[in-house]
Amino acid sequence: MALRITPSTATASTTASTLGAPSAPGIHDTLRSNLSLTSSSVPSSSSSPTPATTSTHPLETRLAKWRATQDALKMEGLRRTFGMAEPIRRGMELKIAGAGEWRPLCLGGGSAGVHGDVLAGRDCEIGWEDVFTGDETREVPDFHTEMEARFRMNW
Amino acid sequence: MPGFDFSNHNRNAALHAQGVPLPKATSTGTTIVGCIYDGGVVIAADTRATSGPIVADKNCEKLHYISPHIWCAGAGTAADTEFTTALISSNLELHALSTGRKPRVVTVMTMLKQHLFRYQGHIGAYLVVAGCDPTGSHLFTVHAHGSTDKLPYVTMGSGSLAAMSVFETQWKSGMSRDEAVKLTSDAILAGIFNDLGSGSNVDVCVITQDKTTLMRNYITPNTREHKQRNYRFPRGTTAVLNQKIITRAEISKYVTVHEVEDVAAAAEKMDVDQ
Repeated sequence: MALRITPSTATASTTASTLGAPSAPGIHDTLRSNLSLTSSSVPSSSSSPTPATTSTHPLETRLAKWRATQDALKMEGLRRTFGMAEPIRRGMELKIAGAGEWRPLCLGGGSAGVHGDVLAGRDCEIGWEDVFTGDETREVPDFHTEMEARFRMNW
Repeated sequence: MPGFDFSNHNRNAALHAQGVPLPKATSTGTTIVGCIYDGGVVIAADTRATSGPIVADKNCEKLHYISPHIWCAGAGTAADTEFTTALISSNLELHALSTGRKPRVVTVMTMLKQHLFRYQGHIGAYLVVAGCDPTGSHLFTVHAHGSTDKLPYVTMGSGSLAAMSVFETQWKSGMSRDEAVKLTSDAILAGIFNDLGSGSNVDVCVITQDKTTLMRNYITPNTREHKQRNYRFPRGTTAVLNQKIITRAEISKYVTVHEVEDVAAAAEKMDVDQ
């Protein structure tokens, strides 16, 4: 385990072959393949799951892996100081807090939630992702529809 | 995708490979300075917003609020400086509420440099951070890539060279408030007159332990002069061919007239319970 502060610069070393010929060379065809890349995607292994990126911009992979790298550094420091039990305990606490917490979509659900933020030490932080959530234009289902779907009452 | 959106990057790269020229970077220009004096700190800025060869705004505001005793002067991309300072201001308020203390200037500086380093200079915010906290008065500069300086007098922006020449010749330690305000505004004036990217007026912000004084348009050296000649035509230049006067009595020949009673006074009278 390395004590990385910043994510490694992941430059693609392999290119994935695409199915079928592209309709126009060079220009990305969203209808054939979705918003993900036609070629040169960053290979992800099971040990370090990286979120799907929509571009080859180096900053995007850096930002996508930023929080995971910071958390890994913190947990590695805790492991070296207190032993393996400490990161395991914190991971379990985070998982329990996340499992028992749910926020409706009409209140901007999906984010980590206040208990997870407190456990991760991020309860007094706000970032671009909290301000520009990216689903301003999406139709949010109303509370009762969401609740009925959760309890399978929408027969 | 929350946060920054990179979905156009691949499209732009593909278009560039097809021969479409890349968009040109917009050149910006600013002069911002800061100076520590005995008992406080002064920051100042010009008010011209440059967008390439065009003056986008003649009287914009480059001094940004962080907290009541910490202010920030911003150079670089205007939107980036504006939103980064707003975000750090929110973060600092949350941090101050969490710790229950007055926020420190080093905290702001550290937050800014960590934030900007994460984005590798893609957020083009070049900032001068100044403020007073229980540990004294402090002055820092933060570059877009996350490097910082701590100096008794600092300049940034395209007019930084002209402003720094004023500081280098006239700065002395242990200045009074009036001397510091004079020196910083002189440095900004040097940027206004010698740098094409800077212009218009001088904004000054004086921060002491007790209070913060924002002096918007402290000096206006480029007020618009009255034109020597007036091109407005005098009244009556266009000849009146004929005119027809309609009196109030015969107006009902043209429109339907209803005389309205004074109902407004009756409607506004309040119903009072007995």
